[in-house]
Amino acid sequence: MEKMRRNKKLLAWIDERFPLSAFWKKHVSEYYAPRNFNFWYYFGSFSLLVLLNQIVTGIWLAMEYTPVADQAFSSVEHIMRDVRYGWLLRYLHSVGASAFFVVIYLHMYRGLMYGSYKKPRELLWLIGMLLYISLLAEAFTGYTLPWGQMSFWAAEVITSFASAIPWVGKTLVIWLRGDYNVSGVTLHRFFSLHVIAIPLILLGLVFLHLVALHHVGSNNPDGIEIKVKKNRQGIPVDGIAFHPYYTVKDMMGVAVFLLICAFIIFFMPGMDGYFLEPDNFIPANPMQTPDHISPVWYMTPFYAILRAVPNKFLGLLVMAGAIAIMFCLPWLDRSPVRSIRYKGAWSKIAIVIFVISFIGLGSLGIQTVSPLRTGLARLFAVLYFAFFLLMPFYTKYEKTKPVPERLTG
Amino acid sequence: MKKYFLLLLFLFVPVISWADEPQVALEKANISPYDTASIKRGAKFFATVCMACHALVYMRYDEIAKEAGITYDKMNFTVKYFGILPPDLSLITRWRSPDWVYTYLHSFYIDATRPTGFNNLVYPNSVMPNFLAPFQGQQVLATDKTRYMFVGMPQWYDLLVLQQQGSMTPQQFDATITDVVNFLAYAAEPYRVDQIRLGYWVIGFFIVFFFFAWRLKREYWKDIKKRFHTED
Amino acid sequence: MTTKDKVEVDAAKRCFLRRATTTIGGLGLAATSIPFISYWLPSKDTEAAAGPVKIDLSTLKPGEQLTVAWQGKPVWAIRRTQAMLDSLPKLIDKLRDPNSDEDQQPSYAKNIDRAIKPEFFIAIGICTHLGCIPTYRPDPGSISADWLGGFYCPCHGSKYDLSGRVYKNVPAPLNLVIPSYAYLDEHTVMVGVDKATDAG
Repeated sequence: MEKMRRNKKLLAWIDERFPLSAFWKKHVSEYYAPRNFNFWYYFGSFSLLVLLNQIVTGIWLAMEYTPVADQAFSSVEHIMRDVRYGWLLRYLHSVGASAFFVVIYLHMYRGLMYGSYKKPRELLWLIGMLLYISLLAEAFTGYTLPWGQMSFWAAEVITSFASAIPWVGKTLVIWLRGDYNVSGVTLHRFFSLHVIAIPLILLGLVFLHLVALHHVGSNNPDGIEIKVKKNRQGIPVDGIAFHPYYTVKDMMGVAVFLLICAFIIFFMPGMDGYFLEPDNFIPANPMQTPDHISPVWYMTPFYAILRAVPNKFLGLLVMAGAIAIMFCLPWLDRSPVRSIRYKGAWSKIAIVIFVISFIGLGSLGIQTVSPLRTGLARLFAVLYFAFFLLMPFYTKYEKTKPVPERLTG
Repeated sequence: MKKYFLLLLFLFVPVISWADEPQVALEKANISPYDTASIKRGAKFFATVCMACHALVYMRYDEIAKEAGITYDKMNFTVKYFGILPPDLSLITRWRSPDWVYTYLHSFYIDATRPTGFNNLVYPNSVMPNFLAPFQGQQVLATDKTRYMFVGMPQWYDLLVLQQQGSMTPQQFDATITDVVNFLAYAAEPYRVDQIRLGYWVIGFFIVFFFFAWRLKREYWKDIKKRFHTED
Repeated sequence: MTTKDKVEVDAAKRCFLRRATTTIGGLGLAATSIPFISYWLPSKDTEAAAGPVKIDLSTLKPGEQLTVAWQGKPVWAIRRTQAMLDSLPKLIDKLRDPNSDEDQQPSYAKNIDRAIKPEFFIAIGICTHLGCIPTYRPDPGSISADWLGGFYCPCHGSKYDLSGRVYKNVPAPLNLVIPSYAYLDEHTVMVGVDKATDAG
């Protein structure tokens, strides 16, 4: 009893000076979310969890890692072998990076399915897209740090993209690298970007993302706004308090998610070469390119698109376009309904084709080129763009289903 | 018949794009991180035979390596064969795979056209001298074409014949190389046993935690079910 | 099926499940912190570098001091003359801890010489006040008229005798630390182990 009264007094003292309880009420215990969140709605909170993991394990790794060219590779092995539990911290971070992309792709797919990018959530989607690009940059800079063969040659290939830009290209590449070829100078600056600059950007964008989300409220699988029907207390009738209902549900989801991640971390962290590539177990050698360069799995769809275009500069433009077009989604979708549940057959077919193309491109991006594979990559690339470019038409003219008044399950 | 002739042709003609492609299927190495005795035997073999040329720089602070006499001051970082530095083997099994190393060490055969006098089916045109010959003996390419059913890639023992046995019988040699590969796999991941053991505990924990988290969720969500009369 | 607006809550069950889940989750978090905390302990290479260090005493002349680094700290070896050893009992009332009662030395150095063999004084050369390295002042009268020889710390004026025992009325609270060490033979000492057999 005494402890409770003391805690209450402490809380009152804080509340007088800082909106702690007000914040808790507004954003957690009296924040009303749609009651019909399904499997696809776990991935937002999972991505926060993975971000936390990456930051904490990253801080720990940075204590023992050396960002100098001829010591980087050894420092990673030092962490794996000489530092207590170093192997675990490393695997938490490397598996975490791949887990981050699995989660983010599923999170984005949810947005695609349920129209979470449509008004009034366009800005939320744009912030999310900026987060995605920042995450790609973070992953790229992080991947160079072990300074293995793949690290080095990935840095070499990706920084050389800039040389395709007319006039300024060649100087731009040297400026990016800080040297006439990828070297320890590049490594060191990528370390700074990876450990400080981009994490700060990520954290800032995550904050903006959550602010934007809470301002308009979450979408839901039915795509209808729960705020239009409120009860006498002003609470949406189809809304439930985030705490305790979604905190408890997310905790259950987290248990399953972490169980799967633990399985990978402890029994197959390399994921048969997809998470930790064999060529990265050799120290970087600027004089010898590995037989087969490909980016890590989460970048392969765009790599496949790049390779499909026979012209260097155009390929770069098309690849950049593949990401840029995602920004336009809120304005490409002319459907009167939000969620795929109530859209017409065209939208359903389109999204299935899109998913097949995206996964197909990803799979092709890992493999070596061949005439058949290039042809397939071109087909999938066309289908990928068609999903977006034809959207204003098929969403506008298809026959949609009537949207319910109240949420369904 | 024709396929076999073509294969032989490729074996004798160095083609750059084929330089790193094994000519044979990789035989499975029966290694286990739990077999510490095997790992220690492999370490001893490594110390006496391999360490003259190959370094194991990341095993500097490892107990098993130290016991076997593999220490930093004894490692060779400068010897070169035909201009090539013998690679450090600390991570060889993570780069190539244990099966690759096992098959490689079995696949040397006499080839007079090569500077070392030997070639290798797994790494064609390797300049590594055949230091295994005293133990395994000397092998030559088989001329008898009916020795195997050519379905997919042949095994190394389908293509090679032991001309003269060394100090070990084939079974002894297999066992020794298994030990060496086991040690190299240990050298690449000394923490493996701890990793697996901890893994079981962590998975077990999450199963228990999930059970309680699930029941807790179900209990709280009864409120929602009651309110909205949903079937699930 | 009846419609009820009032929700019946099994509070006891919820309480139990909440507590059980929190406890298990708490255990999980505690277990998770173990690798993060252990990670900070010295790594294998650090342990190797912090290993025992040999000192060769054969080159030391009477009254001479040599210093070696051990675990990043200066370790002194001083060959004391008989005159120096004779001065030690004379200082009892000037010293804070003349009998080395405080735990600043291994049991075999808990004597007036604070050493295994009186002739060779082995000590860690770090002032017990705030960590400066004291200067070696063996000459009588060099610090003050009644100075019989010892160590003087320039940072804040702490004084120690030739066994590293701290004087009264100086900022330093304790005698200089004597590390564990053992004689490997007549002229060789291994700092960092208690017995010669402990050395790797």
